[in-house]
Amino acid sequence: MKKIGITTTVPIEVLIAANYQPIDLNNVFVTSSNYQEYIEIAEREGFPKSSCAWIKGIYGVCIKEDINEIIGVMEGDCSNTKSLLEVLSLKGIKIHSFSFPHSHSLEDVTNEIQKFMKRFHVEETSVEKIRIQLKGVREKAKKIDELTYKENKVSGFENHLYQISLSDCNGNVESFEQALDDFIKQAQSREKNCKSLRLAYIGVPPMTADLYDYVENYDAQFVYNEVQREFAFPRYDQANTIFEQYYDYTYPYENDYRLAELKKEISKRKIDAIIHYTQAFCHRAIEDIYLKNKLDIPILHIEGDKINTLDARTKLRIEAFLDMILDTKGVKNESIRN
Amino acid sequence: MKVLGIDLGSREVKIVLMEDHTIIQQQKMSTMNFYKNYCIYDKTLKVDIEKLGIKDYEKGISTGYGRNNTDLNTFKAINEIKAHVYGAKYQTQLEEFILLDIGGQDIKIMKVEKGVMTDLELNEKCAASCGRYLENMASVLEISVEELSHYYKEPITLNSTCAVFSESELIGKIAEGVSLEKLCAGVNYSLYQRLRPMLTKFKGNDLVISGGVAYNKGVLEYLKQDYNKIIQLKEPQYNGAIGCCYYGIKYA
Ligand code: SF4
Repeated sequence: MKKIGITTTVPIEVLIAANYQPIDLNNVFVTSSNYQEYIEIAEREGFPKSSCAWIKGIYGVCIKEDINEIIGVMEGDCSNTKSLLEVLSLKGIKIHSFSFPHSHSLEDVTNEIQKFMKRFHVEETSVEKIRIQLKGVREKAKKIDELTYKENKVSGFENHLYQISLSDCNGNVESFEQALDDFIKQAQSREKNCKSLRLAYIGVPPMTADLYDYVENYDAQFVYNEVQREFAFPRYDQANTIFEQYYDYTYPYENDYRLAELKKEISKRKIDAIIHYTQAFCHRAIEDIYLKNKLDIPILHIEGDKINTLDARTKLRIEAFLDMILDTKGVKNESIRN
Repeated sequence: MKVLGIDLGSREVKIVLMEDHTIIQQQKMSTMNFYKNYCIYDKTLKVDIEKLGIKDYEKGISTGYGRNNTDLNTFKAINEIKAHVYGAKYQTQLEEFILLDIGGQDIKIMKVEKGVMTDLELNEKCAASCGRYLENMASVLEISVEELSHYYKEPITLNSTCAVFSESELIGKIAEGVSLEKLCAGVNYSLYQRLRPMLTKFKGNDLVISGGVAYNKGVLEYLKQDYNKIIQLKEPQYNGAIGCCYYGIKYA
């Protein structure tokens, strides 16, 4: 199997059918102990200081880890991807593109996926076969999600980790499915761990994953990871075709569509407050205005940049925010002092 | 229900007694005086409430400067930032605002959205934009802080970013024969200029001002350039103590 890098969620069913092993470059970047080195590689190449760390990280990973084929999402994700792909092509890396069309019509989505299949020389029937095969994995991710918000046995971070991993199934569907099984078994046997505050994490996956543990210090937990959950396609069983599945995906399309799903989950999961994470220099920070306007629930907006841990100021903001939300819940939190 | 709120500031202690959402008693004194004459240290810090002239209260909430100082026994200590936000909510009835608190020795800026604090900035390290700076400059000019606070027209420029160096700069200007009005305006303007970079992250429509500097007309005049509405609290100096009471009534 040939490796192929992806910059975000794309129809991996197509890639797997084409006998490729998809690798989510974001995950490689952020889980590396020397993630800073990847950023360095990009900055030395001339990527501006004022560009997003994810973009630079992906670039560094491609160069350092000998990725020689990559798919970038040109529409619906990051506007910087186009330039990233161009620079990568200079390095002799084979590039492909995929789009989640702005129009968000089923017809256009179908068109895009058909183009994608053609590019990788696969037929719809073999893609469908993989889609059906992946249903098992998607179902297990859903189970983990339920163990998080219904049974309180899975932490926000674990939830984040497993949901996000569905973007590439860690490069190997069989062993990933086994890992999910093992985890579910282990989690089911745990005691419930209920915290007073139920939080939603919305926005791009964080550079600063310590956020999850930090929040749990304060009698709070994330019971919803918006985008990570979308990566796992939780409504896969309502789709009859691969086209419908990728049509029913909130994040790359317009915000109103995303909001409808958000609202549904906020009420279903009894969310008290939201932490909205965006990346420095990303257009998604502007979306914060829209989301805050449309959602009637306290939202704390935090921004990450190049460091993978929370800075002191952000910690203080989170602490004070949670403290006040706890007040409204009638909980006396002794852990928060001056 | 009667709730007693105590805000232990670095320089002054503010005490407010509220009954059913109404302030029925308030007083302030120097921090020194409070610790010396109204407190006994017996492993924990105890306040002599009767000596303060307060007869009875059901709940006591304290807040203030420094983690250890706030732990009065029988009082529940709450975070200072929170106390100020609650104070401003009580006093303005607003749910969306930016709160600028300039005290004697520190500055806090808090953003409140949907009634909850979502952003903050603290400056505890430099005195050049706090009340202490205005006091020092007033004493150089040999006028009261009150008088100093009136002026804002045609400010002279004070370039120094440091509270200590500003004094000698001011003396230099006095020697050049600049009028007192312009000197005072210059002092207020320099404080405003130091606030500005801190405030740029906190743009918005309504700016609520608390702390002693809220009495400074000059500074308020300059801030009007940057915000649609400046809201001066009725009791800017008691805001933290009022916030304690609000917390006690609503949540404790
Ligand atoms: S966080 Fe924003 S700028 Fe960065 S890669 Fe994602 S979409 Fe692009």
